[in-house]
Amino acid sequence: MNAAEKIQDEGAPLLQILSVSKTFGGVKALTEVGFEVAPATIQGVIGPNGAGKTTLFNLISGFYPPDQGTIRYDGRDTDGRSNTELVRLGITRTFQNVELFESMSALENVMVGQHVRSRCGFWGALWRTPGMRREERRIHERAMALLEFVGLGAVAHGRSGDLPFGWQRLLEIARALAAEPRLLLLDEPAAGLNAVETRELATLLLRIKAEGVTQLLVEHDMSLTMEISDRIAVLDQGRLIAEGRPREIQSDPAVISAYLGVQTA
Amino acid sequence: MQELLQYLFSGITNGAIYAVIAVGFAVLFNATELINFAHGEFVMLGALGMVTLYSSLQLPLTLAFLLTTVGVSCVGFLFERFAIRTVKRPEPIVLVIITVGASIFLRGVGMLGWGKDAFSVDPFSTHPPFSIAGAHLLPQSLWILVIVLGAVVGLHLFFNRSLTGKAMLACAISRRAAWLVGIPTGRMVQLAFVLSAAMGAVAGIIIAPVTMCSYDMGTLLGLKGFCAAMLGGLGSLWGGVLGGFLLGVLEALGVGFLSSSLKDAIAFVLLLLILYVRPAGLLGARKVQRF
Amino acid sequence: MVARYLRRNWAYLVFLAAVGVTGCLVQNAYYFQVLTFIGINTLLALGLNLLMGYAGQISLGHAAFYGIGAYTTAILTTTWGLSPGLALPCALAIAALVALVVGLPTLKLSGYYLGMGTLGFGMIVHIFLREWTEVTGGASGFIGIPPLTLGPIVFTDDRAYFYLVWATVLLSFILTHRLIRSRVGRALRSIHDSEHAARAVGVDTQRLKLQVFIFSAILAALGGFFYAHLVNFISPDSFNFLVSVRMVTMVVIGGMASVWGALLGASLLTLLPEWLHTFSDFEMVVYGLILMLVMILMPQGLTRGILDAYERSRKNSR
Repeated sequence: MNAAEKIQDEGAPLLQILSVSKTFGGVKALTEVGFEVAPATIQGVIGPNGAGKTTLFNLISGFYPPDQGTIRYDGRDTDGRSNTELVRLGITRTFQNVELFESMSALENVMVGQHVRSRCGFWGALWRTPGMRREERRIHERAMALLEFVGLGAVAHGRSGDLPFGWQRLLEIARALAAEPRLLLLDEPAAGLNAVETRELATLLLRIKAEGVTQLLVEHDMSLTMEISDRIAVLDQGRLIAEGRPREIQSDPAVISAYLGVQTA
Repeated sequence: MQELLQYLFSGITNGAIYAVIAVGFAVLFNATELINFAHGEFVMLGALGMVTLYSSLQLPLTLAFLLTTVGVSCVGFLFERFAIRTVKRPEPIVLVIITVGASIFLRGVGMLGWGKDAFSVDPFSTHPPFSIAGAHLLPQSLWILVIVLGAVVGLHLFFNRSLTGKAMLACAISRRAAWLVGIPTGRMVQLAFVLSAAMGAVAGIIIAPVTMCSYDMGTLLGLKGFCAAMLGGLGSLWGGVLGGFLLGVLEALGVGFLSSSLKDAIAFVLLLLILYVRPAGLLGARKVQRF
Repeated sequence: MVARYLRRNWAYLVFLAAVGVTGCLVQNAYYFQVLTFIGINTLLALGLNLLMGYAGQISLGHAAFYGIGAYTTAILTTTWGLSPGLALPCALAIAALVALVVGLPTLKLSGYYLGMGTLGFGMIVHIFLREWTEVTGGASGFIGIPPLTLGPIVFTDDRAYFYLVWATVLLSFILTHRLIRSRVGRALRSIHDSEHAARAVGVDTQRLKLQVFIFSAILAALGGFFYAHLVNFISPDSFNFLVSVRMVTMVVIGGMASVWGALLGASLLTLLPEWLHTFSDFEMVVYGLILMLVMILMPQGLTRGILDAYERSRKNSR
């Protein structure tokens, strides 16, 4: 059974991390890390500082290739594919320190998010062909819908750089959703949010899951991760030390010792 | 054979000039990641300075050399102080344009100070040209070679042996880290500008006896020196030297075997080639991110 | 319906009126020529404006495209006897092709390699124009360029040429605005704000920068076309490094990423030499000083600088 056929099978994983290693000039950031993510689930990735979470994140989003092992998305290897390609295949991400297009409005940010799902180029833009105008309307409507989905409909035309931080986060998520991803990578989305905002974020992420989008969540906020993740992978010093359901992770001795240190009785 | 040797001699002479100009670019780029498009004007000021001090005022050679170098270094210092440090938004594109503006400004100053005429300067020694295997080598060429190599070796020792030099390299590698360990990065940038201007002045001084000096001599020299620096690898001192000599020799051979009118194009064709094939330059690091 | 159209496009209508009125009032042939030059320079500045303001790239050899436009039409219409109507698309196509060849390898690299590449390229084109005497006339220039004929109309009249050039400028403004308001324009602005994020969102930044570069080359060649048929004599010195620098200055002073900024910058820089004639010796010094001062104090250019100052004074007076 080849990879394409495997995907027809409902239970096939959307993302496969296959024994991935990455070294940075002597520092082993990741060593033989491997796990799978099923479609329409939320996968948490946690670990103490320096565990390699960011490295793993950058590998999956195509920032650099693994030194060993493969990352397989939808049955295809992601190695060497350009950013544009990966977005077109359905992988988008958010940034830890929100990188919006600050001079543009919230609406325009989300419209840019649809860049790979639209086609109009120089020619269409210069002559305003009917096809171009239809596409612009579609882009506009979809962007408004996404802003409503994350709750930012009211500030659609405000300058995105002026929005309060919590809303900027939501905007970034809306922008990432604009490309119609099947896999959404979230880099510490709760960072800098207060308790109320974190609640709302949890609700939003669950609604995204209900839409069928798979999410991979790198987070420090333990309660958020435990609450919404279907499965959690725990990294420590570049290795995978545990992977399973939240409840299993909570009681896993390896995980506890990684976070709290080995008990000396 | 004799012809080839003659071309080589002239190529090496010019190459040395390009080398010292390229090194001036490299020193500044290393400390600040800035390409100073006004560098050629420092060369021009060095040459015209010699015209005034050595030819007109008949000062002794060493004194004229020293005063000119110091004078141009001051210009470099002032340039950094008023045109670079005061920039509200030090984005690369803004800084590039500032240096282009400075280049025009300095050229204007040159024209005001010395007019549009071309001047010449006596060679450093009055020895007749050497005859080697039928080809002629001007004594000035030897001066050029010796001084350039001396300057480059001096810089090499400065960067590798002295504390200040190493501090400047540290700034190049990571400005923030250098600042965190207490290196006065602002002073290092100043020093880099001064050194770079001094290199430019030296280039102008030693070239003055073998070329016609005028207010507009700097532009083309600066651009060619820049091509040489890119050829060798922008951050590399010895890369600049290599690039300079390579450019000089290729230019001379081109004049000899192709056509003298296309001589100026050679530098720029090489620039484009190196950009297409190996943007880091011959001796530069393999991975190239920004300039 | 009409009211909404008027409100949205008021700037263009004012512009159109200004051009029309000026064309009627001016009688002096010299003034017409200066005004036409401003129009041509605006075309040059417009494309470069997009490149520098949005794609964030600098071109230090753009005069080469200006020259390619001028020389192509000169050679085709004079030596080969083609009609200017045919020479125009040829000139634009050649400029586009050359821009593709120069931009493709250099834009693959991040940073300012396009600036370097265009610098070298600009110098090479200038040297070729100067040395390829059989075709271009060499350093002494190319004479005898026929006046522009579009169909039955022959543009020998200064006023008619003035209107033609400015009509083209208006058209270019409209097209550029359309570009900025489109998917392409949004992608360009996103690159300007955060190239990193633009790439993460899937924008093919290298390809877009190349397209903008080609677009700016085409506009420059268009300017060259009009220039050749205006002055009927061209020489390589009109397309050297200093001219490239002047084009950059226009954009910088007017304001990058601002269509009207191109107009302002072009106007100022066309008129400046006229004003500086009195201090002809100081021309370079003043020029260089202006460039430095604007970049140090008002890097967003005069247009933005004036608008910001106006907004600040309004806030303060509240």
